[in-house]
Amino acid sequence: MQRCYSLLIGFIDSLPLIYKNKKGCTLPVQPFYSEWGRNMDQETEHSQELDKALAELRRVTGLPLDISISTSAEAEKALTQLKCLCKAYKEKYNKTDFLQSLMTGGIPAYEIPERAARLHINPDDPRVLFLLESATPDETVMEILRNLFPSQTKAYLVPVTDTITAVLRPIRSGEPPSDFRHIARTIVDTLNAEALVRVRLSYSSVLETLADTARGFRETSLALKVGKLFYSEQSIFPYDELGIGRLIYQLPLPLCESFLKEIFGSEIPDSLDSETTATINRFFQNNLNIAETSRQLHMHRNTLIYRLEQVQKRTGLDLRLFEDAMTFKVALMVMNYLQAERNK
Amino acid sequence: MASLSLQGIQKIYPNGFHAVKDFNLEIEDKEFIIFVGPSGCGKSTTLRMIAGLEDISGGTLKIDGKVMNDVEPKDRDIAMVFQNYALYPHMTVYDNMAFGLKLRKVPKAEIDKKVREAARILDLEKLLDRKPKALSGGQRQRVAMGRAIVRNPKVFLMDEPLSNLDAKLRVQMRIEISKLHENLGATIIYVTHDQTEAMTLGTRIVVMKDGVVQQVDTPQNLYNTPCNLFVAGFIGSPQMNFLDAKCTVKGDDVTLTVGSHVLKVPASKKKALIDGGYNGKTVVLGIRPEDVHDSQAFISNSPDSIIESTIKVYELLGAEVFLYFDVEGTQMTARVNPRTTLRTGDKAVFALDMEKIHVFDKETELTITN
Repeated sequence: MQRCYSLLIGFIDSLPLIYKNKKGCTLPVQPFYSEWGRNMDQETEHSQELDKALAELRRVTGLPLDISISTSAEAEKALTQLKCLCKAYKEKYNKTDFLQSLMTGGIPAYEIPERAARLHINPDDPRVLFLLESATPDETVMEILRNLFPSQTKAYLVPVTDTITAVLRPIRSGEPPSDFRHIARTIVDTLNAEALVRVRLSYSSVLETLADTARGFRETSLALKVGKLFYSEQSIFPYDELGIGRLIYQLPLPLCESFLKEIFGSEIPDSLDSETTATINRFFQNNLNIAETSRQLHMHRNTLIYRLEQVQKRTGLDLRLFEDAMTFKVALMVMNYLQAERNK
Repeated sequence: MASLSLQGIQKIYPNGFHAVKDFNLEIEDKEFIIFVGPSGCGKSTTLRMIAGLEDISGGTLKIDGKVMNDVEPKDRDIAMVFQNYALYPHMTVYDNMAFGLKLRKVPKAEIDKKVREAARILDLEKLLDRKPKALSGGQRQRVAMGRAIVRNPKVFLMDEPLSNLDAKLRVQMRIEISKLHENLGATIIYVTHDQTEAMTLGTRIVVMKDGVVQQVDTPQNLYNTPCNLFVAGFIGSPQMNFLDAKCTVKGDDVTLTVGSHVLKVPASKKKALIDGGYNGKTVVLGIRPEDVHDSQAFISNSPDSIIESTIKVYELLGAEVFLYFDVEGTQMTARVNPRTTLRTGDKAVFALDMEKIHVFDKETELTITN
């Protein structure tokens, strides 16, 4: 079967000019027909690819376009040009591409309002950014998010990697930042229940305008890293609740090592044995209360005291004293951080 | 449906936090098991390990005899219901319930059958065309349940599903869930921090604290024979009264002295105190509010268990009255008949039902007399 296309040779050469046109939808269509191609297989292949490319162009730009070609070389040229047109249009007009660039700080501040307006995004709406990481790539996660945040909600879903997705959600009038945790919990619980997939989620502080999106992405990326490292028992990490983990994460590694040397001497352990760690953690959880800790650990109080004294022998820190306990707690966190950095 | 076996389950997070310790439990097919305990006790973590949403650090989890430790959550044949459920706002009830199955590419006819069956069980048939915003809180919760039911899983896992509902609706939904268990004949594991929910729903209750299982038993046994001070205090509302008491053994007689009050321990309880060598030691005396009596007849018949105090607060709840008073600096509560004449500020005499007392070791906090 033979297919006919109207070929806009002049148009293809002038593509860059066309997508720079602000109205953007005045592509001239001048159909004329000619027979082409004697090799039916090649013709069919090109025909299918061109159909796909035209459909993609129409999907992305909303512009219908007919082309007609006579030779295989022309078909290839048309295909290349159509792909270029799609790519260029996406860069300029696609919401996802725009938001991805915005998150990574790839758009100058002065361009943001104009480009946002072109995509019908209000640049002055306050928003919050949620960054969601699933344990494994899972298509259903995006599908569920799309349905949790349908277009009416004016929330935008931005894929970052196979496993990470950002949700840029407008803040409703009168909605306090304390509600963000509830929204985060709802997202996590829904994904857990519907997709049965493990997810972790961080969220930013309030982003007053669209220009703050890059800050939001930096905040949530940091919160996700710090949260996974220091608060691994949790699944939601608000940027403004990172505690001492935030400080440690930003310390240079040599500084961390010299801090640990100060405490453990020249032989810094990679980690403490699990029994010691569990004992100390429980002791800290019980506010340095020996009776309560020994009861919970089902051990005699003298055994607990012996273990604490062993730590004191090694580090010089008496964990029964608040100041020493605090130093040791920080040292444990620094050790975790160093270990994670080494594993990288 | 399915049976579960949890053997020596542990959860230690990479940062060293030991969330669950040596959790052992055998769950029979069609049981309704409740995990209850205060916030941070490890109940949700255990549930998430069963679901596969958390790695198991140690021990073995079996569902229907198959080891599940490394099986993906999707392949465990479970369904979860959470507290913070979200219904898809632009979808009807039908579509909300069908969505999970559509994602799994289940044939349309099968989806339709399952959704309509779940709607029948949950009495949602007339609401299938409604959008979530047109539903009440209870109806929304039922839709969330429906999403789990249509999966037809081996095990239902519910993590505080009623916590977001108001008190009245919670009571109503408790009944619904109980009916659901009967209708489905399902194995359900249900997490809550609300001991009333635990007592009313569960066939067996697992009481947890600090990642450790304290006691596993039927609601009645937990109430009547708590194994330690924590369980005794956690189960029951108002909670059990606790008083420090000195144990004295004289020949065959055992007494517990609380300040100036001397209470005679009945024959059924004293052997454990004598055999345990508690003579001269301080123990913790526990008594439930309903076992503290103000009726003249009971007081006359119990001359060896009298305590006196002044009423600090009188609380009428309609069918019963709570009286709050201090004994040797410790606040106590009595649950009495609303016909009582005692009021705030009155000098009162109470008699303890010594057959119902619980005595705990002060150091280990374990029960002595049960």
